[in-house]
Amino acid sequence: MHTKPIIVLVAIWLAGVGGITAAVAQADDVAVVVSEKNPVANFTQPELRKIFAGEKRSWAGGQSIKLFVRAPGAHERAVLLNLLGMSESEYKKYWTAQVFRGEAQAEPVALFSNGMQKEALTTFPGAIALVNFQDVKPGMKVVKVDGHSPAEPGYPLH
Amino acid sequence: MRHTGTAILLLVVANLSHAQVAAPSEPEMIQQLVLQVKALQEKVELLESQQRASDPVNADAGAHPVNTPTLPAVDSNAPPASLIQELHELRGIQWRGFGEVDYKVLNQRTPELGTYGFVPGSHGNFYTGDFDLLLTARINDKASVLSEIAFGEGEAQIFSVDLERVLFNYDYSDHLRMSFGRYHTGIGYYNRAFHSGTWLQTTADRPLVMEFAHDGGVLPTQAVGLSFTGSIPSGRLGLNYIAEYGSSDTHLQNLAEAGIDDEDNGNHVNVGLFARPESIPGLQIGGSIYHDRISDRSHGPDARLGQTIVNGHMVYIRDGIEFLNEGFLIRHAYEQSSTVYNMPAFYSQISKQLHRVRPFFRYQYINANSGGFLEEFVLRHGPSFGMRFDFNDSIAFKTQMDHTKRKGRPDLNGLHLQLAYTF
Repeated sequence: MHTKPIIVLVAIWLAGVGGITAAVAQADDVAVVVSEKNPVANFTQPELRKIFAGEKRSWAGGQSIKLFVRAPGAHERAVLLNLLGMSESEYKKYWTAQVFRGEAQAEPVALFSNGMQKEALTTFPGAIALVNFQDVKPGMKVVKVDGHSPAEPGYPLH
Repeated sequence: MRHTGTAILLLVVANLSHAQVAAPSEPEMIQQLVLQVKALQEKVELLESQQRASDPVNADAGAHPVNTPTLPAVDSNAPPASLIQELHELRGIQWRGFGEVDYKVLNQRTPELGTYGFVPGSHGNFYTGDFDLLLTARINDKASVLSEIAFGEGEAQIFSVDLERVLFNYDYSDHLRMSFGRYHTGIGYYNRAFHSGTWLQTTADRPLVMEFAHDGGVLPTQAVGLSFTGSIPSGRLGLNYIAEYGSSDTHLQNLAEAGIDDEDNGNHVNVGLFARPESIPGLQIGGSIYHDRISDRSHGPDARLGQTIVNGHMVYIRDGIEFLNEGFLIRHAYEQSSTVYNMPAFYSQISKQLHRVRPFFRYQYINANSGGFLEEFVLRHGPSFGMRFDFNDSIAFKTQMDHTKRKGRPDLNGLHLQLAYTF
């Protein structure tokens, strides 16, 4: 019978597609990074949403959360907006409102590069940021989201 | 270019090392980071221009660096986000301003809503509403100060200054955030979410039931005292609480006759609970109960009554949708008699962002008992609809049509145009 070669070919094709998909996912995945001293190991998406919306402002130990985001135009910014369900203008308006309500001191600091994000993570123990997985550097602790690490199947931020 | 990169790296390391040694405060550190970026950008531009000047053959190539990463298109005229933040910070004090210019027309000359500079009885006129200045400053990691100063137009082009809010905030944890000072009471959702700056709200005006007391509203919208809020460990339910105790001495503008009732004496208690369930991001459902003892001088110098206000709200804001719903029961029980007045009120508002345009629809309802403390409101209800157009992230133009049915009085139709801005 000719079934065996067909099965082998299909398996090779599926493996190839899977590999491509994984590579694409890895290229697009955005990691949640915190200071190396931060003991947090996993976030759920709702927890992340609360943190980046400024609703959750303290870590479990009482340390204040310090938000760092990328400036408009960066891939990480698009992932952040998608997480919050906001457009760029809605995001700006939201933070203006948060400050006006007294719910926040200021809009999260927008940085121009991942290098600056790394410096911020080093400087502020309570810092958290979103960084392209490819750009994660030593000194950044990558935290799982919904139990998945970046580049793993099922990782939600990309 | 390799030397340029090395120079930048050394500058960053040197500056950050200095910053760590000096151990400045957090706002100062952020300010330093922003200044460093600006300094580095200038340095890079200088070095690049020097390089181009010294190497005229490659000048064209220098103008189009090969390794420049391409990013999605953004508004090239817009200043960087960090620069905007820097512009709104002065020696650690964040500031922001809100303003508006309004034009309002009513089809009735009977005095109505004699506030915000709108001349009662006139067919239409311009006014400036509130000009708001918000100042906030972080004292340390946990403590901060907020103040909101409003320059309001009372009667036509007569202005007054009001310290709308002044708060000392202390965030002990996510479960306990404390505020001391003058605040907007947590009666329902709208009063805590929207303050004097009309740029933030979709419609040109507040729902009538949520109108500030000094501008003709029915609720005690401001108080001086203590306010506590925070999250309650409740898993995916996302429960939060609010508790307030303070003096709600407010002057209640008489809606129809421009008189003033003094609503004073005693301290109010307000407790509320609301949930933001994780399963439906953007949804908030909650309620509050407010109680105070107040005076009604229209019933005599000693007329005292208990005021209880029950609120329930359901709000959904996500993906450009804004859906606000609030209901109230305002109960006035006179102490010297068995007279009790119950006044129901609600509003429902929905809008959807469509690029720069946000069409909206609102329906509101108030039913005040005749002879009661708020009888000038009578039964009134009706729709409002209109559109908000955002020119950019700071300027919006709103047009709003109102139709209000009033018991025993002619229907009221209005057109409200508003240019609202923030800076």
